[in-house]
Amino acid sequence: MPIEITMPRLSDTMERGTIIKWHVTEGDEVTAGDVLADVETDKATMEMQAYDDGVVTGILVSEGQPVDIGTVCATLADEDDDGEAPAPPPVEVAAEVVAPAASAPAASPAPAARRSGGRRITPVARRLAEQHDIDLDALTGSGPSGRITKKDVLAAAQAGDEMKAAVPPSATPPAEPAPTTLAPPSPVEAVPATPVTSGELALHADDRREPVSGMRQTIARRLVQSKQEIPHYQVSMAFDMDAITDLRTSLNEELAQVEVKLSMNDLLVRACALAMSRNPLMNASWDGDAIVLHGRVHIGVAVALPEERGGGLVVPVIRDADRKSLRQISAETRALATKARERGLSPEDMEGATFTISNLGMFGVEHFTAIINPPNSAILAVGATAQKPVVRDGELTVGWEMQATLSNDHRVVDGATAARWLGTLKSLIENPSTILV
Amino acid sequence: MVREIEFRDALREAMSDAMRDDKRVFLCGEEVAQYNGAYKVSRGMLEEFGPRRVIDTPISESGFAGMAIGAAMLGLRPIVEFMSWSFSLVAADPILNNAPKMLYMSGGQLGCPIVFRGNDGAGGQLGSTHSWCVESLYANVPGLKMIIPSNPYDAKGLLSSAIKDDNPVFCLESERMLALKGDVPEEAYDIPIGKAVVRRPGTDCTIVSFGRPVHFAMEAAETLAAEGIDCEVIDGRSIKPLDRETIAASVRKTNYCVVVDQSWSFSSVGSEVAAEVHRLCFDDLDNHVHRVHNDDVPAPYAWNLEQEMLPNTRKICEAVRACTYNA
Repeated sequence: MPIEITMPRLSDTMERGTIIKWHVTEGDEVTAGDVLADVETDKATMEMQAYDDGVVTGILVSEGQPVDIGTVCATLADEDDDGEAPAPPPVEVAAEVVAPAASAPAASPAPAARRSGGRRITPVARRLAEQHDIDLDALTGSGPSGRITKKDVLAAAQAGDEMKAAVPPSATPPAEPAPTTLAPPSPVEAVPATPVTSGELALHADDRREPVSGMRQTIARRLVQSKQEIPHYQVSMAFDMDAITDLRTSLNEELAQVEVKLSMNDLLVRACALAMSRNPLMNASWDGDAIVLHGRVHIGVAVALPEERGGGLVVPVIRDADRKSLRQISAETRALATKARERGLSPEDMEGATFTISNLGMFGVEHFTAIINPPNSAILAVGATAQKPVVRDGELTVGWEMQATLSNDHRVVDGATAARWLGTLKSLIENPSTILV
Repeated sequence: MVREIEFRDALREAMSDAMRDDKRVFLCGEEVAQYNGAYKVSRGMLEEFGPRRVIDTPISESGFAGMAIGAAMLGLRPIVEFMSWSFSLVAADPILNNAPKMLYMSGGQLGCPIVFRGNDGAGGQLGSTHSWCVESLYANVPGLKMIIPSNPYDAKGLLSSAIKDDNPVFCLESERMLALKGDVPEEAYDIPIGKAVVRRPGTDCTIVSFGRPVHFAMEAAETLAAEGIDCEVIDGRSIKPLDRETIAASVRKTNYCVVVDQSWSFSSVGSEVAAEVHRLCFDDLDNHVHRVHNDDVPAPYAWNLEQEMLPNTRKICEAVRACTYNA
């Protein structure tokens, strides 16, 4: 019996997954535990493993093609099949065993369609999609094995026309920089969020339409939802960073022996977590007819991903950051950021944040605002710590200063609450020894 | 003047008109003269043209086909009637190996203006050896033309063109259609070989067929129209040359194509049409061309099994539904 490898459910909210890379090809022998493919979900990129030993007899889903959970993505021939097969020439035996396994589940056109380098799309559907400027990746095929047919494209074209008629183009929300931190400089952040309605832009000769990844779609969906549903307002404050800069310098001198280097962001994570535990009204979520006050403080840290991995943005979570030491926070943040950039985070790494910090300081940004990461009710946009002309004790002098802007959900947090929280943060940062204990 | 006559009479009118016009034209075959034709196609022709031009032959297809080819090579224009195309198989060498190649092999010195005609396809419980559809088998050979009328009007016009043609023309008729009546002008007329006709205009799916199955396609189109699928039915009229342009123009409009061919599917007229549609209309197709053929078995004798084996209305409806994603 062929073993079917189906698209697994890798997170609670996952409905579809995309195989972004196959690590096996037809004819490969695999053993249980081998990585078969990288699967991109709405949240993360994860490994799809083999649970059985066998030979890959069919790759039924092509790279980049989103499929529903449970869709058969590949088939394995059980090694036992070979054992039971009759004696005659080995080639024929293999053919007898393999052929039904490969052809049965995915009617004949599957391999051909895969080789053509994409999803199953009929020629006329492809042509009509070009004519109507329809994004085929956004369509679900109604034909056999998800084949996109003329009907699907014409339906999308009609829906597009109706949407165009209903929404004037100016209604697209203005682009804000995506919140980010910690990542090496990359121009990804400069790209405005993808509009939710796609396939409407006229292409000029020098333009290029780049299909978006699952992650980019998730970013687009969540941020549009956030910006549309949450009544945002911003509160900014300047922070005297002299003391904390000195503290960090002296700590790092001490810790250099054990090869630990605290970043300013680590100190900020800890400070924000402490500010939360002192102002529990900020550590909350809007829930329709109630406000949920979170009992624990989990700080999300926005991390930009390198462009060579497709760019984008993830928010790993430092759990119970108010109860963790600076060194723990530093080590965890570093590990998660590395994992995010190199292998991709698991959903657990990104679940449950009650507050988010986005830091563009390392790019020299002094001031910006961030979009709230639902279901948080606030996000802190942190600028660079830089030397500035400042007034200290009535004297104009040069000092280290940082600006931070808190975006709040006005349904949950009123201005005074936000201001008080920023005041607490300011007191912690400017008297940084309190952060240590 | 137009009157309603039978298919067999339309065929006879084409032959008689040609024989009156052109003294080189003659008819030969089994029972064509004294018996007025096994199926009464040549009724009255012996009386009008005499035994030198309406010739009864022995039951020897290879012999009389070869004799007629020789006559054609030397300047006459024979019409050879096979009682059934099934019987032409014993004359395969003259009709396939000599007639279509003669012009080529003689370097243009000897043409072969000859018409072979007779009943093709299932006649109704004639058994496997007498139920041949030869179109796929014979159309494979270069140098010949093949016409396959589906109604009396086309029968007269196409056969008239065939007799005037300087190449060997194979005219495929159907025993099941000889009594079919239709409006046919009394005067002579030609229908060009190699031109198809749209029998029923439609927007949702093109059905291409030839000969008798055109009628099944028309029935299927009516059934499907009631389901909201508006089919365009194309009667190919000729198999060789194949009117690719008319077929392609229709498929470019409908984006779907079903071919109905009464021969077996492997290496067939249907597979040729499908290949050409895929070549000419690749970017216009929303599904691969679907084909309806004889089932891949020798014709059964039992009536119910024979009907099931043939390309019937039900099979065509199923193919159109599947092709248009309405299954």
